[in-house]
Amino acid sequence: MRLFGLFMLIFIMWIMILVVSYFLIFIIGPLHINVFYNSTDRLISSIIKASLAIGLVVVLILLLGTLKTKYLQKTLKRN
Amino acid sequence: MTYLLSPLDIAFYGILVSAISFLIIFFMTPYLIKYLNKKGRVVVDYHKPGKPNVPRPAGPVLLIGIVISEILLYFLILDVKIISVLLTTIIAFIVGYIDDMKTMPGWFKPAALILAAVPIIIIGSHGNYLGLIFDNAFIPILYILLILFIIPIVGNTINSIDVFNGVATGFIIITMIPLLVSVTVFGNTNVLLMGLPLLFGSIALYQYHKFPSKIFLGDSGTLLLGSMYASLSIVGNSEIIGLIALLPAVMNSFLFLSSVKKIVEHREVKTRPVTICSDFRLVASKDKSAPATLVRLILAKGPLSEQEIIVRIFILAIFSSILAFISIAIQYSFMMGKISL
Repeated sequence: MRLFGLFMLIFIMWIMILVVSYFLIFIIGPLHINVFYNSTDRLISSIIKASLAIGLVVVLILLLGTLKTKYLQKTLKRN
Repeated sequence: MTYLLSPLDIAFYGILVSAISFLIIFFMTPYLIKYLNKKGRVVVDYHKPGKPNVPRPAGPVLLIGIVISEILLYFLILDVKIISVLLTTIIAFIVGYIDDMKTMPGWFKPAALILAAVPIIIIGSHGNYLGLIFDNAFIPILYILLILFIIPIVGNTINSIDVFNGVATGFIIITMIPLLVSVTVFGNTNVLLMGLPLLFGSIALYQYHKFPSKIFLGDSGTLLLGSMYASLSIVGNSEIIGLIALLPAVMNSFLFLSSVKKIVEHREVKTRPVTICSDFRLVASKDKSAPATLVRLILAKGPLSEQEIIVRIFILAIFSSILAFISIAIQYSFMMGKISL
């Protein structure tokens, strides 16, 4: 089937979105970071969490980039 | 101030605004086509034998239909979110119309579309939670920054998929269905009512935009569609569901960006991702420097006609919409405590 590869690519993207959502909710969300053991900890904790979340999204984008390059090169070479 | 609507009110208002949007756009578009042809505001459709001239843009008629329906809806339900969605849509239309009249540099549309996000933030139509399938994340400050990204990204995403006859309108019609279900489940019925003029307006315009196109949307039309879709997903707490439904289009703009490595107008790209054969079928470029686009991926297995490509893009949109429905089911199950991890 001609579109099978693209279905798989979209499906993998969807799975990646679910995995990133899972990490953000269950791993990064509940993280508690204590540095100074005072009120500034909440701010620092939020900044670290936000950075981790953004980092995770960047990793997702890089993975997708690699995935599409491999798919395109493989399909063009085969045909 | 917002009223709590009864199911009968919702049905009546829904039918009313859908019908108004549909009828205005359906009956006004032929006049716009005549006017644009008379004024010579046409562009060449390179994918067809004889390279016919097609009038452009259809954005103004889409805007009129949607604005009239949304203003009427505002007086019926008095929800201020309608004003923010409407302002976002109008600003996006203006940005696109400027680009329709005068070719602007590649950075113009994404940068100017940040302005379109401002009404949602100022009026405060957004929530502080981002629905992440398994739960909601409380990110009040980060969410505002996110809105400033979502509107330009989605606007340009729909703009970048509008490469063949009827693709942008057809794509929006398909992907609006899971979005409207999601805003009803996770937002409220007011947002559903706000989305109906976009859905039915797109259905009306599709009659003229589908293959062979009698009118092209132009940037004013595509940015309007994309920005309104994005603003509905924001005010309806359905950002991730909206994104999942749009995955083929997101993939297209992401593929383009990651291969070109900068924001440029399609016209500025030197190596074309696809070329036209003598029989007007399209073939993927083997040139490594050509941008990777969704159409190039579809054509990677061999040449296809324009109509065959359009059908395949719609099949991909249906597939991503099914994934969006599955995501709605998962999110709803977690929300109701039927599943827990």
